[in-house]
Amino acid sequence: MIWGSILGITFVVALIILYEWPKLKQGSKKEKATVVVLTGAGWLLAVLLVFFPEMPGPTDVIKAIFQPLGRYMEK
Amino acid sequence: MIEKSRISSFQMAIMMYPTILATAILLVPSITGKFAERDMWLSPILASSIGFLNVFLAVQLNKLYPKMTLIEYSEKIIGLIPGKILGFAYLFFYLQTNGIVFREYGEFVVGNFLSKTPMIVVIGSMALVCAFSVRGGAEVIARSAQIFVPLVVILLLFIFILLVPDLEPKNMFPIMDKGIMPSFMGSVVPASWFSEYTLIAFLLPFLHDRGKGLKWGFISVFTVMITMVVTNMSALFLFGSITDSFTYPVMSAARYIDVADFLQHLESIVMAIWVAGTFVKISVFYYALVLGTAQWLNMSDYRTLVLPLGFLLVIFSLWTAPNLIEMVHYLTTTWVFNALTMQVAIPILLLILGKIRRKRGTKVGSTRND
Repeated sequence: MIWGSILGITFVVALIILYEWPKLKQGSKKEKATVVVLTGAGWLLAVLLVFFPEMPGPTDVIKAIFQPLGRYMEK
Repeated sequence: MIEKSRISSFQMAIMMYPTILATAILLVPSITGKFAERDMWLSPILASSIGFLNVFLAVQLNKLYPKMTLIEYSEKIIGLIPGKILGFAYLFFYLQTNGIVFREYGEFVVGNFLSKTPMIVVIGSMALVCAFSVRGGAEVIARSAQIFVPLVVILLLFIFILLVPDLEPKNMFPIMDKGIMPSFMGSVVPASWFSEYTLIAFLLPFLHDRGKGLKWGFISVFTVMITMVVTNMSALFLFGSITDSFTYPVMSAARYIDVADFLQHLESIVMAIWVAGTFVKISVFYYALVLGTAQWLNMSDYRTLVLPLGFLLVIFSLWTAPNLIEMVHYLTTTWVFNALTMQVAIPILLLILGKIRRKRGTKVGSTRND
């Protein structure tokens, strides 16, 4: 199941890159790098989440920052 | 400029209407009811002041830098490096918030209708549709909003009219039994929804009639406020003090409709309202995120970023919270302050600093402000 999810994620990422490639070819190096880095980051995050679904996320960062204020809204 | 199409301020108003309302009519009545109880219809009126303030701030900032979005003028106002950091904070905020919107949509659809479909399919298909509309640009989102919003309004009115025989107006008395405080506390969460009007900072530079931006922005806030008051009132009149025990009061109200044993199961209409509204909501957030990222990186075109960011959005939507209950708890506590800081406090500071900068610029007569 895990390897199935990873295969699915890789497939989607490959589709995204293939779809964007004809346009990226004419683009500058910077644009290529941006798209590759963003998609790569997405792939990495997705795979990490498959292995560690309980990984602390962005919500926990926001919670840590705003916790003192957030307490006022507890009911 | 990065975006070539132009929209009118009326189109902007019609885009922003579901951007606030789509999620606000489902989760928010119950959250408001928890704090305000019988005064829950007052809360959206108090909360809308934040919406008016936000439209005013965005328009004033746009007057200082007419051709720039939030990401671009924050660099001009507070300098390059701090501006980039603030821009990243905004992009992260919109990425996470849009992830939450996706999750709300997924939880609602899976929880009420497609109980056997995996969440990733529901969210992923919506992300794909929204990606196409964002690729089309602001004008495409505006035109799809023009088609969907009248339908949404008509269907909502239809639900309310059918509910009228069952309503008990005496549920709202006594008004302000415990003073203004409960309705004020209840207005904090809707206020964070109204603060999403900061998104017009990403649309204002592309208006071809910018002079009317403020007027239509205010009209949009006002219609959202009226709709939220009507939604909260109908939930209150129907369920009384138990409104807060439903997760989706409007949905439960629609389930309750039964006209002559013939017109039943109208929750599918709520579903239609919700899907159409959320489509516009997600598209506007998504558009702001993609455009902002492209401007943050000084790219010449934002279209290539649409799909990679969409993929990230889907991941964030599954990552933000383990389940609906924790997400609602997060939305009522910490997210409120996150949203109000990012979308109210920082724009106020930016406007003050921008005004000071403008004054100095004219005194010295520099060409910084062209």
